[in-house]
Amino acid sequence: MEKLLWLLGIDESMAADPTVRLGAWLTLGVIAVCIAGFIILLAKGRLRVRSFGNKVWQRTKLLIQTMWFALTNSFMIGWIKGTIYQGPIKYMCVPGMNCYSCPGAFGSCPIGALQAILDEFDWKKSYVSQSGTYVQAPLYWVAVYVIGILMVIGALCGRLVCGLLCPFGWVQDLLYKIPVKKIKLPRNEASINRAAHPGFVRFLLGLDRYLRYAKYAFLIVMVIFLPLMVKANPWFCKYVCPSGMLLGGIPLMSMDKGLADAAGTLTVLKCSILTFIVVLSVFLYRPFCRYICPLGAIYSLFNKVSLYRYGIDDTACNRCKGCSACAKVCPMGVDPVKDPNSPECIRCGTCAASCPQKAIRPGFKLKTAEGRAIRVSKRK
Amino acid sequence: MKKSVFTRYFFPVLLVLIGAGCIVYGVTDGEAGAVLRKAISICMECIGIG
Repeated sequence: MEKLLWLLGIDESMAADPTVRLGAWLTLGVIAVCIAGFIILLAKGRLRVRSFGNKVWQRTKLLIQTMWFALTNSFMIGWIKGTIYQGPIKYMCVPGMNCYSCPGAFGSCPIGALQAILDEFDWKKSYVSQSGTYVQAPLYWVAVYVIGILMVIGALCGRLVCGLLCPFGWVQDLLYKIPVKKIKLPRNEASINRAAHPGFVRFLLGLDRYLRYAKYAFLIVMVIFLPLMVKANPWFCKYVCPSGMLLGGIPLMSMDKGLADAAGTLTVLKCSILTFIVVLSVFLYRPFCRYICPLGAIYSLFNKVSLYRYGIDDTACNRCKGCSACAKVCPMGVDPVKDPNSPECIRCGTCAASCPQKAIRPGFKLKTAEGRAIRVSKRK
Repeated sequence: MKKSVFTRYFFPVLLVLIGAGCIVYGVTDGEAGAVLRKAISICMECIGIG
């Protein structure tokens, strides 16, 4: 019991409070329900994207996202009392954009942690090492811990995290379900015949094409360069991140009058960015993931080399003679047959679940059960 | 086939191993502690107050 309280970041004085005890039990309940949910999905084979068709997969996907959000943000004491979790699980980073100032968050946000460590990094800093010797060296060897975590997650599954395990992605998915007329752009490729589309669509296509590189700019400038060189601020978190405002700022300010009173110009700026992203998400699929997310930019670099990859069974695919069903349903505007592991693919599974020939094979294998080769590279 | 097995699995496994090495180094270097230290206090900038 003591270890459990330690894991939940509760000391003896806190444990005497009945609200804390209620929160602790609720936390354990939510964790148990989520783990049971994942086990049931696994046992029923519902995690196999291709098995049940797109309609069932979309429901399963939403369930996975909801359960993952509930699991990683289930510190109920924080939600009840307006505090944050302060236990040892926060040594670890969660895979998705999940602000560590969210009242329920059990893990650290990798982007927040990366900026915090780079902000502390100082070439001239002197310190006493563990062996007791006085050394003059960088305090940390350029955030290797956080980079290591990102590298392991990226090398295992790439942007699968964006598709299934990101809380802000889940929020955007929910917003996109609001039934209004959507902005649907034609597939945005170099080979597209732009002249065939009206001027406004051509403008949006051009905008979309170049704005997709903006997430790499946010990563390099606001997450790496400014915290490392200018210091003083987690620049991306402070001036851009709508996830921090939604999951951390709004809940904490609504529960803590002191924090609400401290709100100022920065709060207005961040609320404006959040509102813009929220409204845009109703009309356009995942605008934050497409254009802004630096975490998605990092994982996108691993899409082509990760262990879990999308592959194409060309023999099965050719039976349709280029039906393009997968490309038509892809919410991120990717053609999976041409490039099954495009950096823009968030591995949401919609294409694999929609393919009439089940030719798109997400997973770790090199061959189908029938012995046919699975292509993971671009189509030549 | 051997070549495709090599290219399919070698790089991701290598990256996972390098990443795991980085995590171990970061833990021994005290960086994990720094992450915890930052994460257990409310980040005022992140929530739009800073």
